[in-house]
Amino acid sequence: MNVQHLAIASVPIQSWGSIYDSSVAINKGTIFQDLDLPFFAADKDENQISDSKQSGKADAKQLEREEKMMQIYETCFVVDDLRLYLDTHPKDDQALQLLKTNLVRRRHLLDDFSSNFYPLTMDCMAEACGAKSYSGCYCWQEGPMPWEGGCV
Amino acid sequence: MWTYEKRLQYPVKITKTCPKTAQLIISQYGGPDGELSASMRYLSQRYTMPVKSVGGLLTDIGTEELAHMEIICAMIYQLTRNLTIEQAKTAGFDAYYIDHTAALWPQAAAGVPFTALEFQSKGDAIADLTEDLAAEQKAKTVYDNLLRMITDPEVRAPLKFLRTREIVHFQRFGEALENTKEKLNEKNYYFYNPEFDKQMIGY
Repeated sequence: MNVQHLAIASVPIQSWGSIYDSSVAINKGTIFQDLDLPFFAADKDENQISDSKQSGKADAKQLEREEKMMQIYETCFVVDDLRLYLDTHPKDDQALQLLKTNLVRRRHLLDDFSSNFYPLTMDCMAEACGAKSYSGCYCWQEGPMPWEGGCV
Repeated sequence: MWTYEKRLQYPVKITKTCPKTAQLIISQYGGPDGELSASMRYLSQRYTMPVKSVGGLLTDIGTEELAHMEIICAMIYQLTRNLTIEQAKTAGFDAYYIDHTAALWPQAAAGVPFTALEFQSKGDAIADLTEDLAAEQKAKTVYDNLLRMITDPEVRAPLKFLRTREIVHFQRFGEALENTKEKLNEKNYYFYNPEFDKQMIGY
């Protein structure tokens, strides 16, 4: 018997489809090609995050830092988008596999950034303090504030 | 609890001062369909959600909205950090400048202060999730409107990112509503309120 489901909103459940590479996904705003639905008034924009490489003003250390930070942005965004997908698709094996890969990568990138530059999370403080020595090191306040736009 | 990660979810690097643009996008900070409203809406609604995974989704999206608020604030800050008094006077930023100088304060583009009256936490899963779907649509419309008016590519890039996030969140809230419906009486979704009449779930 077909029940008519009246007087209630319905949204189709998404099924796993084509996934953007992490460097593309952050520019699109989603890892899911099926959910990339651009607005005509913004469709022709060049979607590229600008860095100091283009302006040619930064030194090698700054460029390296920006490159590493960009990898963090990309990997963490894959984690962000997958988290929401898995909240409503907790048994999706492909999503779980991709999450696992990116979580390991995220941890590695954050630790690496911490050792070379400054910590982005409190958990990274261990890494940063280990690399630099404890004396006089309260490195949590090191680096530009996120809203300054100084790192990428 | 929450912990801070010292970076934005999407990079913001705006080099050109423009108080007019700041005055427009401030709506997504403290306006009726802004990121602060979104975050408070979801983080308020989550406690009484009858389906555990929906409470989890509201937590995760509410948290992401906080990160979006930070992106918007970073944009406003960078658009006004080198503001001259002449720019403040000529660009329609004068009234805001008098009250807040170049500091951040949550208000709508038209100057209405942020208020909890902009969102609901109704205590009925279908009502709340339907509001959440509408909220994502309305926020998307604001980003559309901003993208029609603003030409600076350094401002447009984060706006486009945020617009797509509204569409993704709409999809997830839709799926959360479907998951909630599965737990209800499919012949009459309105026979009881699953968030209050808990003893009736599965009836």
